[in-house]
Parts: sequence; C-alpha cells; structure tokens
Amino acid sequence: MIGNDIVDLALAQKDSNWRRHGFLDKIFTEKEQLLILKSEYPETMVWNLWSRKEASYKIYNRQTQKRGYFPLQLECFTVDIINDFYYGNVIINEQIYFTKTEITSQYINTIAVLKVSDFDSIQFLKSNTAIQKDNGLPFYRDPKNAVLKPVSISHHGRFEQIVCI
Amino acid sequence: MDKQEIIEKLRSIVKPYSNNQNAFDNLTESTDFISDLQINSANLVDVILDIEEEFDIVIDNQSMERMLDVQSAIEIIELKLSEK
Ligand SMILES: CC(C)(COP(=O)(O)OP(=O)(O)OC[C@H]1O[C@@H](n2cnc3c(N)ncnc32)[C@H](O)[C@@H]1OP(=O)(O)O)[C@@H](O)C(=O)NCCC(=O)NCCS
Repeated sequence: MIGNDIVDLALAQKDSNWRRHGFLDKIFTEKEQLLILKSEYPETMVWNLWSRKEASYKIYNRQTQKRGYFPLQLECFTVDIINDFYYGNVIINEQIYFTKTEITSQYINTIAVLKVSDFDSIQFLKSNTAIQKDNGLPFYRDPKNAVLKPVSISHHGRFEQIVCI
Repeated sequence: MDKQEIIEKLRSIVKPYSNNQNAFDNLTESTDFISDLQINSANLVDVILDIEEEFDIVIDNQSMERMLDVQSAIEIIELKLSEK
C-alpha cells in the first residue's frame, strides 16, 4: 500500500493563510507547532508536515475504510534529513507509516509506505495511465501480469503525481 | 435558528473554497465538501474555523472528524448551538 501528496507552494500560499487564528491548533500537535514556529521557513514546514499527514491518511483510509478529518491523530516524527529529503514516521493509534518528503522551492511531495524497503520499489505512473476506482480507491492493472495494484494519486495546482509499488 | 438558515449560512461559508460550481449551485444536505464541492482538504480547516466564527461555537476534535458533508455540519452546529 502507498499514499502520496503533493503541495504546489504557490497555490498553497494563495489559498491558505496558515497564520490565521486557530489554523495550526486544529491540524498540528503541540510538538509539530513548535517545529513550525522554530523553523527558519515556517510556511514550508507547515506544508511539509501537512503533506506527510495527507500521504499517510491515504494508506490509513485504504486499510481501515475510515473516512474522516482527524489531522491531529496523525502525528509526524522526523527521523533524518538528507539533502532536500525528510525521512520520518507518521503514527496513528498503533499504526506506523514511513514517509519520504521532498522539499523544493516549487512543491513539497510526500510518499508514505508501510515498510522502509518499499521506498526502493516505487513506480511513477504517467498521467494518462488507465486507473480504475473501487469504492473511490484508485487501482492500476499491471499489463505484465494483470495484477491489480493499489495506486495513490495527488494533484495540486501545477503538479500531479501517480505512484504505486 | 432553523435548518434553512443554517444551510444558507453554510452556503456562503463554503462558497470561496468550492471548486465545483455545479455542485455548489445544487447544494443539498447530502452534498460532500470534498467529493462534491471539491474543497481542498487543507481548506476544510478554514470551513471549520469560519463555522466557529459565524455561529460563535467551538468545534471539538471529535466533531471535526465527521465534518465532511453538509448534513453532518448541520447536526454539529445544531448540537453546539443547543449547548450554548
Ligand atoms: C483523500 C483526500 C484527503 C485527498 O484530498 P486532497 O489532498 O485535497 O487531494 P489530492 O489530489 O492529494 O488527492 C486526491 C486523489 O486521492 C485519491 N485517493 C483518495 N483516497 C485515496 C486513498 N485512500 N489512497 C490513495 N489514493 C486515494 C483519489 O483518487 C484522488 O484522485 P482523483 O481525483 O484523480 O481520483 C480527500 O479526498 C478526502 O477524502 N478527505 C477526507 C478527510 C481528510 O481530508 N483527511 C485528511 C487529514 S486527516
């Protein structure tokens, strides 16, 4: 299983005012808010953490069939920062997801997986790939072996990404 | 406040965040904020904060969890108003 999220930073800046009273409290834990406020680039950290929650939510949603708005329950932890990549975990209840987040000046992109080794087998699908939906969840039929694979789709502003393992 | 008044207020709250004009024009109780109005999930928090301000209520995390469609929003608003 896989989850992804992409944030077009220009669009996010236009559409969201993260400094709005109450905004951070509704979606980020106290520790996450500290990380944002202490960061040299707080806005980038807002979308960095948000994209990790969203990518992980997509796996959680597929695993549990639960649909809901509970960003505070998906807590982000940063494990390592290598160049422009943040490696971390998102934890909800007893479940742990592994996240890899790329930070650029134009977009922020997180991919979430269930085990670290999955990061080595990620496939990026073209935007015209035939995707089928089952109960709202996207799948892709691998032409090589006809196996139905779970995919994750994200689009925001100028960017779109479709991934599977 | 009756249900119709709540719906009218909700309609003006979601308007700036909606990305599907047709779904917005045909807004009913069963309209989903995300799949129908195509509100970006990061803007759902703005909808929730706008509701808090407009109705002068506090939406706790448990209520926020199911705030995904017009019907649940109405239920939560009615409940919070009755507790005031
Ligand atoms: C899943 C969801 C969060 C994505 O919303 P978004 O970030 O605004 O938009 P994105 O472009 O990143 O994602 C939309 C895509 O995700 C795909 N998707 C939905 N659920 C998915 C899942 N469980 N796994 C993988 N992909 C999924 C959809 O197919 C959609 O692509 P499509 O429109 O081309 O079919 C949203 O659709 C939703 O259901 N939200 C409910 C509550 C919520 O926001 N929770 C998040 C924080 S707790």
